Amino acid sequence: MTTTHAARTVGAGLDRVDGPLKVAGAAPYPSDFSFAGMAHAVLVQATVAAGRIRHIGAAAARAAPGVLAVITHENAPRLERAPGGLTIGPPPPLQDDRVLHHGQHVAVVVAETAEQAAAAARLIDVGYESAVPLLELDDPRAQRVENATGRDVVRGDAAAALAAAPVTIDVTYTTATQTNNPLGLFSTVARWDGDALTVHDSTQGPAFVRTALAVAFGVPESGVRVLAPFVGGAFGAGLRVWQHVLLAALAARVVGRPVKLVLTRAQMFTSVGYRPRTVQRVRLGATGAGELVAIDHEGLEPTALEDEFAESLTRSTTVLYECRNVTARTRQVRLNVACPTWMRGPGEAPGVFALECALDELACRLGIDPVDLRLRNYADVHPQTGKAWTTKALRACYEQGAERFGWSRRTPRPRSMRDGPMLVGYGMASAHYGYVQVPCQARASIDREGIAHVRSAATDIGPGTYTAMTQVAAQALGLPPASVRFGLGDTEMPRAPLQGGSGLTAALGSAVHAACGRLTAAFLDVVADDPGSPLRGCQVEDVTASGGGIWITAQPARGETYPAILTRHGLAELTADGQSARRRDLDGEPAIFGAKFAEVHVDPELGLVRVTRVVAAVDGGRILNEKTATSQITGGTVGGIGMALLEETVSDPGTGRLANATFGDYLVAVNADVPDIDVIFVGEPDPMTPIGVKGIGEIAIVGVAPAIANAVFHATGRRIRSLPITIEQLL
Amino acid sequence: MRPFEYERATGVAGAVAAVTANPAAAYLAGGTTQVDLMKDGVQAPDLLIDIMPLGLRGVTRDEGLIRVGALTTMAELAADPTVARWLPVVRDSLLLAASPQLRNMATIGGNLLQRTRCRYFRDVSCACNKRDPGSGCGALAGSHRMHAILGTSEHCIATHASDLAVALVALDAAVAVRGAGTDTQDRKIPLAEFYLAPGDTPAAEHTLAHGELITAVEIPLLAAGWRSGYLKVRDRASYEFALASAAVALNLQDGVIASGRLALGGVATLPWRARGAEDVLRGAPATAVTFRAAAEAALAGAAPHPGNAFKVELARRTVVRALSTVAGVRE
Repeated sequence: MTTTHAARTVGAGLDRVDGPLKVAGAAPYPSDFSFAGMAHAVLVQATVAAGRIRHIGAAAARAAPGVLAVITHENAPRLERAPGGLTIGPPPPLQDDRVLHHGQHVAVVVAETAEQAAAAARLIDVGYESAVPLLELDDPRAQRVENATGRDVVRGDAAAALAAAPVTIDVTYTTATQTNNPLGLFSTVARWDGDALTVHDSTQGPAFVRTALAVAFGVPESGVRVLAPFVGGAFGAGLRVWQHVLLAALAARVVGRPVKLVLTRAQMFTSVGYRPRTVQRVRLGATGAGELVAIDHEGLEPTALEDEFAESLTRSTTVLYECRNVTARTRQVRLNVACPTWMRGPGEAPGVFALECALDELACRLGIDPVDLRLRNYADVHPQTGKAWTTKALRACYEQGAERFGWSRRTPRPRSMRDGPMLVGYGMASAHYGYVQVPCQARASIDREGIAHVRSAATDIGPGTYTAMTQVAAQALGLPPASVRFGLGDTEMPRAPLQGGSGLTAALGSAVHAACGRLTAAFLDVVADDPGSPLRGCQVEDVTASGGGIWITAQPARGETYPAILTRHGLAELTADGQSARRRDLDGEPAIFGAKFAEVHVDPELGLVRVTRVVAAVDGGRILNEKTATSQITGGTVGGIGMALLEETVSDPGTGRLANATFGDYLVAVNADVPDIDVIFVGEPDPMTPIGVKGIGEIAIVGVAPAIANAVFHATGRRIRSLPITIEQLL
Repeated sequence: MRPFEYERATGVAGAVAAVTANPAAAYLAGGTTQVDLMKDGVQAPDLLIDIMPLGLRGVTRDEGLIRVGALTTMAELAADPTVARWLPVVRDSLLLAASPQLRNMATIGGNLLQRTRCRYFRDVSCACNKRDPGSGCGALAGSHRMHAILGTSEHCIATHASDLAVALVALDAAVAVRGAGTDTQDRKIPLAEFYLAPGDTPAAEHTLAHGELITAVEIPLLAAGWRSGYLKVRDRASYEFALASAAVALNLQDGVIASGRLALGGVATLPWRARGAEDVLRGAPATAVTFRAAAEAALAGAAPHPGNAFKVELARRTVVRALSTVAGVRE
């Protein structure tokens, strides 16, 4: 059971507007689309991690029933790599004979049916000239990349402060490779009409897919249409344009027919990114009173050989606490591994794990309560820039979270709390995420039936974007939500940014808000000289949108409905565009905050950990929909439980083959692993965005794993510094 | 998946004859393992004979035992009142296995014949002596956290995955088998003699000849005075194979163990009856000291690898906990 307690909401608890479609199986996901004459593509993947392809024996596959084409580097058309690195994705596939990672796509088989393609793919014999792969972070042959994100920070003199500090902590943490694993298998359906291309795709950014496809195939971007009205989850896997997307379009081009390509679950582990494992050294220096005088946080993670992927593990380290001397660095090491991606809470989820566990170690060393230690180092202003926060309710997160959790019942000594034979532990952690708001556009129309049609080329990978945007438009236009039709996931619509970085709701919501405001203005324009309108001569600031129309604020009985205006003027509809961008006129630092509290029960003999309670207190600014927002935090908490205790993508030593690329072997939390999750929203609307929203997608997972790890320490007295925390570490 | 022929069986004798005559034929029951193996290219039969139409389903009680049709589903057997009353170890082993969806499809006969979950067996790009005799063992140099520490050989360390088989081995259950030669007569094989350790021939997992069909499983009921239980230890709370498990049955008289049964799962290449531990239990007081001694005996001869060395102690503790729980004694 999940309970929630919201602060400021626009529409508490509106059911998902797309819920009936989804539960009825009627929501069209990318793999549900088909075209007449469509063929099916199946991928063949490398079984070595490095080297060259010596030969590809494809004769048997080409002769197999139903096979239309076998495409390899030997016969594939040239593809151009789109500029823009990060979101565009890995290098185009099948362009040469080199193998850069185990599981690299080396051939695509196209056949009449998916079953025929899969059967023929098994007949392909690939010979390799293997090389010794780069697989370990400490391989001296591997290239290191420093400060790829530009987010490294050196503030003051951490080394000197550490040397002089009365109390120091110097510990190294590791986190495991995690695979995003959305439930929906990523799929691409591609159809060419001359140089025009229509693609249904599992993506978090249709506009980026369009650009990449246009560049790859050298066709005008205006002719490329990408659709993604529904995506079966992504957690960051849809932030980049992957090779299989290009291969589906390539296959369609080669066979001259529409092609559908659906990744297998195993391919989801190597083809659409993952969260890289990390090694992080954290050094803290503090006074005996718990004042932080130095933080040095050094993060290391792998990335792929010919890819620009990088994330900062140390962003939160530089801003969560008031501390004059901070060094924060992240390095990548280039290895023969598949291309990573940003997985929910990218950088922050593993980075905050290391930082917040180190804080717990310091609290323990000093004999200071962990919440109290954090309050003693509370950053009232942004510690790096010295600017005020636009809003910050982290203190309320600590206080209300602790109150709800019953933190005061915690006895500080490890192994001091029990429930029958079980050891009981309480742990907590802070959470922070610096969200990104990038420009976004939206369009709004109202027709003579009084129905608003609002759209933008964004996506809804599950958080409830359809629902929240319906509410924003309904409120701005004074319509009931049932009179708003929100559309997304189509590049024919106004351009939207990626659904990532916890930024879309603020960006899109602000654009929708702007479009609706301009639509109201457009209606006022129509009646500006209309003697028959009670609104004649009114300005936007004079009126209120409500009750299906526009009314003079000072004279609420005077006004008229949208259909009345349209009908009188012989108009079918009115349309307006709106856009949003980060405010430049506000000199403050926006950020999302949270505090997570976890209770665990540990079986001392068997080493079994079960999370028994979680309280998540979140400052996400204005919450547009209490119900879907609570689901967001609940889902992120479940992901945090997986990160803490279960999830690890294992690769074989020496070969780089993934050893557990199935849902039976890669463990995500199941219902029985998930306890009551109590969600509290605190804080105020953020003036950085017109609708006051901050965004909560990432903060949902950040801080959960360290709260659990700290609770495991409190329960057992064992400090496990390596995620996931497994039975063998606690025996 | 490679194309194959599919036929629905109309009678036991006909099905057995058809599969026996065709080395590339296989039976299809619930399909929960078989279809996966075919999708992954691990198995590629030319002909599948669907035996679900054969009946062979349901639980009947006989003198001192129950007879379970081979095509009874895991869910059906777990819900059987006699099993719930007299064989909690069987019921627990079923309900702690797989997921409700799988238990609704998977059959008892198929459960006993399920193939290992070893990822090197199931990935045709890897060497595997079980799948491809003589090709080597990818697991030995790979990731072996889920692999066996008992009954292993230098050719194979794959774990037997069934929970039910562990309980049944402890209970001295037997399978009834129909072969082409025996025609209308079932042959009975005690489960203790049914499974084969990998040795030099990991591909041979049991004593059935090609075409022989399990028609039923006979499970002796525990007499009055016995109590039983199954403990499964794993990372997540549901839907995972065991890191270690223990099936326990004890006949306790005035705090003394008159007789005990113990089998281990998740740690061995076959359902592992721990007879040495049973010798320790027999006639001993039901105390933590006895249980620890039994656990030491149960793990005698364990041959761990670096990735699964922890399972030796984990399995011991699992045994102690299972014995303590069934005996009602605090550890």
